[in-house]
Amino acid sequence: MLSRVAETLYWMSRYVERAEDVTRILTVNFHTLLDAHVQDSPAGWRPIIAITGDEELFTSQFDEYNARNVSEFLLWHPANPNAITTCITLARENARSVREQISSEMWEHLNRLYFLVRNLKREVGGRGPYEFFDQIRQGSQAFQGITNETMAHGEAYEFIQVGKHLERADKTVRIIDVKYAAVNDLSEGPEVSLQLIAMLRSCSAFEAFRKTQASQLQAARVAEFLLFSQEFPRAVSYCLQRALRSVNLISGDGGSPRHLLSPQRALGRICSELGYLEISEVLDQNMHPYLDRLLRRLNEAGVEISTTYFNTQVILPAQPRQQQSQQQQQGR
Amino acid sequence: MSEQPARAQPGLMDRYDVSDFFDEMFLPSREPRPHYQQLHERLLEMTAEAFNERRGYADVSFLYQGITFTVYGQKTEGIERIFPFDLIPRIIPDAEWSHLERGLVQRVTALNQFLFDIYHAQQILKDKIIPAEIVFGAKHFRREMMGIKVPKGVYTHIVGTDLVRDDNGNYFVLEDNLRSPSGVSYMLENRQAMKRTFASLFQRYGVRAIEHYPQELLNTLRSVAPHDNPDPTVVLLTPGIYNSAYFEHSFLARQMGIEIVEGRDLVVHDNRVYTRTTKGLQPVDVIYRRIDDDFLDPLAFDPTSLLGCAGLINAWRAGNVALANAVGTGVADDKAVYAYVPAMIRYYLNEDPILENVPTYLAVQDKERDFILNNLDRLVVKSVNESGGYGMLIGPYASQEERDTFRNLIQANPRNFIAQPIVKLSRHPTYLNGELFGCHIDLRPYILCGEKITIVPGGLTRVALRSGSLVVNSSQGGGSKDTWVLND
Repeated sequence: MLSRVAETLYWMSRYVERAEDVTRILTVNFHTLLDAHVQDSPAGWRPIIAITGDEELFTSQFDEYNARNVSEFLLWHPANPNAITTCITLARENARSVREQISSEMWEHLNRLYFLVRNLKREVGGRGPYEFFDQIRQGSQAFQGITNETMAHGEAYEFIQVGKHLERADKTVRIIDVKYAAVNDLSEGPEVSLQLIAMLRSCSAFEAFRKTQASQLQAARVAEFLLFSQEFPRAVSYCLQRALRSVNLISGDGGSPRHLLSPQRALGRICSELGYLEISEVLDQNMHPYLDRLLRRLNEAGVEISTTYFNTQVILPAQPRQQQSQQQQQGR
Repeated sequence: MSEQPARAQPGLMDRYDVSDFFDEMFLPSREPRPHYQQLHERLLEMTAEAFNERRGYADVSFLYQGITFTVYGQKTEGIERIFPFDLIPRIIPDAEWSHLERGLVQRVTALNQFLFDIYHAQQILKDKIIPAEIVFGAKHFRREMMGIKVPKGVYTHIVGTDLVRDDNGNYFVLEDNLRSPSGVSYMLENRQAMKRTFASLFQRYGVRAIEHYPQELLNTLRSVAPHDNPDPTVVLLTPGIYNSAYFEHSFLARQMGIEIVEGRDLVVHDNRVYTRTTKGLQPVDVIYRRIDDDFLDPLAFDPTSLLGCAGLINAWRAGNVALANAVGTGVADDKAVYAYVPAMIRYYLNEDPILENVPTYLAVQDKERDFILNNLDRLVVKSVNESGGYGMLIGPYASQEERDTFRNLIQANPRNFIAQPIVKLSRHPTYLNGELFGCHIDLRPYILCGEKITIVPGGLTRVALRSGSLVVNSSQGGGSKDTWVLND
């Protein structure tokens, strides 16, 4: 498959997933703040921007963290490359250039989603536009379902899966990071439960978590579930296992670990660490530094995928220069 | 119109005017020609309403399948429009087609020999059959191509030749498109639409099939692979999704089962062309390119081009990849060179041309220029390099001011202009606003030239959808019809 096509499919998928994740985080925050003491405070909204990692960009555009500004920024603000409308538009543009690779059902659906967000009126921003959020979320979920059911599960499909799962893992890690810090700042009380529920809901994980851990809502248990579950589709470990599986299907498993490509190594290493790690070990070395390192490694895996599959270059026969370029890559 | 109280059901052809043009369906007596008899009867049976209903089906299916072309000039995204399709087919009897087919094969054979000759020994110039300045002055003459050996000696793998008929029904060649002629996807899609909407009529007529065109095209492309590779990799090179013909590129690639690539998907190493894939670099043998010479390779031509691939021309020169069509074929569809095609046929093949040219006056010849300037109100003046209906003056319909502008342009650069008498293009019944009118048509057959020459019967019949308009190009408000070549 052409590198350009693979890359386009991968980003189409990442953008759809990103739009859904940001939508869900926004929705959950609106809900959570209804129960909190301070409804429209910076403390309630700042973490949302922290999750997306665009704090600098936000403060360059707005003076204050509040419902109106944050929603505007995340929904449609032209300066924000990760705004929901921008993500959907980019997903559609990507799909457009590989129309012959995806099913016409996928194209039609994404097109419809695009017209939905394009016709979004600015005013919906401040007033908790639940209906609109619901449409985006359902639209994205339907897209995943349509993809699953109408497209051959070949190489193109696997690149879509890799994109989706890497994006999702990234967002789940960020949600845990920000929300866990918020819980840590609180003393025991109903506030803690509210925040933990918000953390789970942001990952659509509340019901799934309840089914496995009926007893009590503890921060450590919630983090453990969202990090290590091998069954829940938004848990970090699950997502990376899936991404690894797709990458293996794309490249073959090489027969032995000695013959793997760099994306397989990068993802495989993270997967086995998450597979054997205990939550207490993470807590011992503190949550934030661990998650920060995990995010960096996810990024590196993304870079390996780009280098291996998307930026196919002429590889000159072994020359002294080659070693140098390998070192440069490692240093990245 | 439909809000009027219904009187007797209006017929489609109640007011049809045969006029003094050659009408494809009717004799001057308004009797239908024999090969149109059945279609004529079917149309008499139909009310405008019933016809319109079928038309609706066809339009909707075109839109759903995304059979569209892009209209430029909108702000950010091009607007996608369906290419207007007329449901009344153009019918060509077998004998008439055989004549055209022989003429086209002869013409394309001579054109290929001409291209080989002027990029090698230039014997035709030495023998003074064509003035050398006409060839060297052609914008698309590529001196870079001198002496290059192209696979199997084929320069023009895909040719679209535009044929017209005059008021006596004689066929003439209006122009040869030797670079990358487009429109063949409409020919194929029109056929699909006709089969759906007029199935029984189609069957009764015994129409020759055209659906094998993509396979023939693939065979042609494979037959010119370098090094006699028995299993070559063929790709289609497109400028990308914003090109107005992208639908066709994607359509043909899918039909042939080959990869559609952009310039950035290709890389040249050691004079070999590769695609960048997720499994590393994969060698390419044949490139069906749908981008112009100028943009093919920034190292050889336009250095600012981002559409092509650096080193491509060197790989081609080294004989490691075939380009269809070859570079530099545009010299032979220059409208001044066109005037000499009958002479080429006599010179290379020692035969009389089967298909005639439209008489053509070259402004670069002193006598002919005087004639042109004295008869601007009776001639069509064309710029030699333009296509698509741009850069032309239709004398009788132009204002004095427009004629003066062209007079100055011709005097300033005579090499750039030719003139032809106005051909009273034949007309064909065509549906416009509830009834049939005679609209002017032409015909573009697609000639495939590999180890042998193949023409699928028929081609794209283009129709001027404005009553009276003589310009049939899609960019100028033209539409198209299905073309039925009958079994004998």
